Amino acid sequence: MSSINQIPVIEAKRGNPLSKVFDELVRFCRSRSLFILHYCTGCGAIELPPAMTSRFDMERLGIQPMVSPRQADILLITGYVSIKTLKRVILTYEQMGSPKYVIGICSCTVNGGMYWQSYATAKKLDEYMPVDLYIAGCMPRPEAVIAGLQQLMNRIQSGEANSWEDYFRNYDYYLGNQQKLFGDNWQTPTDIITEAKHYNLMGEGTFGEHTRLLEQHQKPLEALDMRLGHNLKEPTE
Amino acid sequence: MSQEIAHWLDNLLEEIEGIEIRRKSSRRVRVDVPADALPALLELLQGRAGYIHLSAISCVDWIDDEEFELVYHVWSYENHSLVSAHIRIAREPGVYLSVYDLYQPAAFFERDIHEMYGIHFEGSPNMGKFILTEWDGPPPMRKEFDSEAYINEHLSWQEYNPPWLQALIAEGGGVVIPPEEQRFSRKKS
Ligand code: SF4
Repeated sequence: MSSINQIPVIEAKRGNPLSKVFDELVRFCRSRSLFILHYCTGCGAIELPPAMTSRFDMERLGIQPMVSPRQADILLITGYVSIKTLKRVILTYEQMGSPKYVIGICSCTVNGGMYWQSYATAKKLDEYMPVDLYIAGCMPRPEAVIAGLQQLMNRIQSGEANSWEDYFRNYDYYLGNQQKLFGDNWQTPTDIITEAKHYNLMGEGTFGEHTRLLEQHQKPLEALDMRLGHNLKEPTE
Repeated sequence: MSQEIAHWLDNLLEEIEGIEIRRKSSRRVRVDVPADALPALLELLQGRAGYIHLSAISCVDWIDDEEFELVYHVWSYENHSLVSAHIRIAREPGVYLSVYDLYQPAAFFERDIHEMYGIHFEGSPNMGKFILTEWDGPPPMRKEFDSEAYINEHLSWQEYNPPWLQALIAEGGGVVIPPEEQRFSRKKS
């Protein structure tokens, strides 16, 4: 089985009257066990250690830090995202398993914050990936972070927090913004369109002019060249 | 004791022509030298006065004078004092000598200044990209680079006008943007 298309998908029939109850149970459990991947892009990250450790202790809400994107539920962007970092953030986001949630902490993720005039930082995080929740402030205190996380938990439990589906359904919009910033050759190692097909998450906005542009340039998937200082000279001894 | 060192330092510095010394405090000296005398000055400071630590090279863009100002900060662990040597170079073509052979950390500072201001340092080991590896615009710290125009072209905003901000603005507060005439990028050349 070499291609993802060959994996059979079984269309679930939801005839069972208990399925709603079961869904609710799943959502409840999901909201009580959240693993956050804290992508510490900016200064706001400094409020996370007190939020995680004994003083405010996020773990009493069932929220724990996680070290790898594949195992995390929440992507926490803690501050300004420089355009260089944004590429990495998008790669990280795309590698996370669904359902996934994005929280933008700090004013910088909302509108650039105090770096509004900077050529190097992206201004609106939700142009590049769907954001579930913003926690504004420069920087928000741990109480605010925890209040935000609680709000997210409530939204997960009530089934409102499904913006991750939006990334598949409106991929063309997000890809377009990414291409505007990173150039037309922008391509990530994750094939979102195939995934959207596979998980039955195609929407009207999945395809569009930007995805067509991507298809024109698309190279077979391999790791992106993301070495720093690629024009460094070899050290001469 | 420190008085004595200060005195001795002043004497030493007077060996260089065209130099202007301003003592800011017992531990800080500002020196203005012609650009071509700087290597000799640094060599003197390093070799004879123990100023072995180059803490930073900073750069100021004086766009109206058509000059760049380079400031070399050197520190002595023996005298516990900092000498800041200021030079001015022409903005065009913006070329200066590297001091890498005297102070090796200069390679980093020069590479950084090259990236941010476009000044070329002759003899510096590497003038390649440093931090802005994925940037291909003009050197962004030059005063003629209009950061605001750049972001308006490439990025967008979202409305954020909560009631508390409206109340602040009604009282005459809010976000303050410097007037046009104070912004170099807005000056019409
Ligand atoms: S909002 Fe403030 S604290 Fe947060 S990243 Fe921006 S500057 Fe830093």
